[in-house]
Amino acid sequence: MHDDDGGDACSADSHRGMLGAGASSGRSPSLPYAVEHTKRSGKVLPLRASFWDSIKSGFLNNNTTQVVEPASNFIEEEDTLAQEIILLESTQSDGTLEQIMFSSAGDVDAYDVQALCDKVGWPRRPLTKIAASLKNSYLVATLHSICRAPGLEENDEKKLIGMARATSDHAFNATIWDVLVDPSYQARFICLNLSDEELVSPLLTGPGYDFLGDMGRGLGKALVEQLIRTLLQRDIGNITLFADNKVVDFYKNLGFEADPEGIKGMFWYPRY
Amino acid sequence: MAVACAAISASYPSLHFSPNPSRRPPPPISIFAGSSYVDPLQLRALLGAANHSCHRFPALSPDGRAPLADPDKLRVALAHSSVVVSVFCRFKFVAEYGSGARWDVVSSPSPLDMLLQRAVPASAQDRQLVGFGRAVSDGGLAASIHDVVVIPSLQRRGIGRKIVAQITRILTSRGIYDISALCSENERLFFEACGFGEDRLGSTTMMYTRTPPDYKSNQVVRVAGRLQLLVPPGRELSSAILNSQSETIREE
Repeated sequence: MHDDDGGDACSADSHRGMLGAGASSGRSPSLPYAVEHTKRSGKVLPLRASFWDSIKSGFLNNNTTQVVEPASNFIEEEDTLAQEIILLESTQSDGTLEQIMFSSAGDVDAYDVQALCDKVGWPRRPLTKIAASLKNSYLVATLHSICRAPGLEENDEKKLIGMARATSDHAFNATIWDVLVDPSYQARFICLNLSDEELVSPLLTGPGYDFLGDMGRGLGKALVEQLIRTLLQRDIGNITLFADNKVVDFYKNLGFEADPEGIKGMFWYPRY
Repeated sequence: MAVACAAISASYPSLHFSPNPSRRPPPPISIFAGSSYVDPLQLRALLGAANHSCHRFPALSPDGRAPLADPDKLRVALAHSSVVVSVFCRFKFVAEYGSGARWDVVSSPSPLDMLLQRAVPASAQDRQLVGFGRAVSDGGLAASIHDVVVIPSLQRRGIGRKIVAQITRILTSRGIYDISALCSENERLFFEACGFGEDRLGSTTMMYTRTPPDYKSNQVVRVAGRLQLLVPPGRELSSAILNSQSETIREE
């Protein structure tokens, strides 16, 4: 049922809204310089929130956990487009503190993005194009892992482990592209009572229970949900994406509908 | 008369670009690229005349009409569209060609008149916005086409195809080749004629349509056309950043 590229979650140059979870090749060294450092102006509101519920619901593949909460009287600032949130925090046995930080500031290098694309097995795209697309996207949401060794307060190791971006006309339409989560990163936060078999289970392949995939789904879910939240708060109502077959269920779980009312995306194939 | 028409088509191939001889020719039109040519109010009128909504799931009135678009939102959308194409036609031609007469080929002006009319562009007051299309892109990799519209009286004359061709030409000149268009059922044939097809990579088009099953007073929704879209809750995050007004239902 699934086209099997030996675990690669893509074919040709597909990059449309897929959750990437291809074979991991270990950590890439962080590069000392960047092609183009995209930075967006905007207030950064450091907020701490426990997103464990969000990720846990990814584990349980729950459909609509509609957690309802009372609206507060807090008036949002003019532009809450840029936020940084610590999603998870864990302390390793050697005392290293690791945090997973979500950010919608869009502060990300094209190099890092390319490295992440390599990890999930997508074919390479020109760096200048990646940089241009990041700069011109309406929203770029990222997940970074920040490692702090005990005692070394200044030397945080920050690594890009997830990304999602959306283009928009700022008024009516938005399209979500390039949803990626580093697969090698999922293993860190798995519960310790897993058998060895489960730990080396194959990558995201289908609707069956796949533990290594669920963590990625949880992080991806947090990314996409944040994009949707921001877009809807801006009254942008047409939120679209083009999902690879393997991840259609993932997006259904998030509230997306395939071909709603017969609306399909078509692509330009010029006949020369 | 057939000879004269052939002469026209030789000099102005764009006039009869369709191989089908029974297709009606478009009137003399001028096509512009750039958002500065489009007045949001004119655009709103054009969209209204074509009964086209910028919302994919518009709230239709009982007689099937979509509400008029908010001009301010149109202004924002125009400012942030990478490509904006507008088509203008002189008022008198709109009336002439749009009258629905089958013999408009016979009544079209002589070749010399056509030449003169083309040589002297219509002034801004003399012309009407009859066609429109735009595209949103990320400037590097992908683009999507939206709101391709032609006024009903001038439809089926190849103007829409010209709009799409112009948009794709501009995008490819910028190095963007991944061009998509969201199509409803009745837009599909049009885009197929423009050279669009189903995704060869087999992706599934999906849109966010989640609405809460029953409206609870403290679930946050946003109105998009006729849908009330559920804003994904973010636990403590959402209570901290949500606008206190976000609960009131507002149109557009």
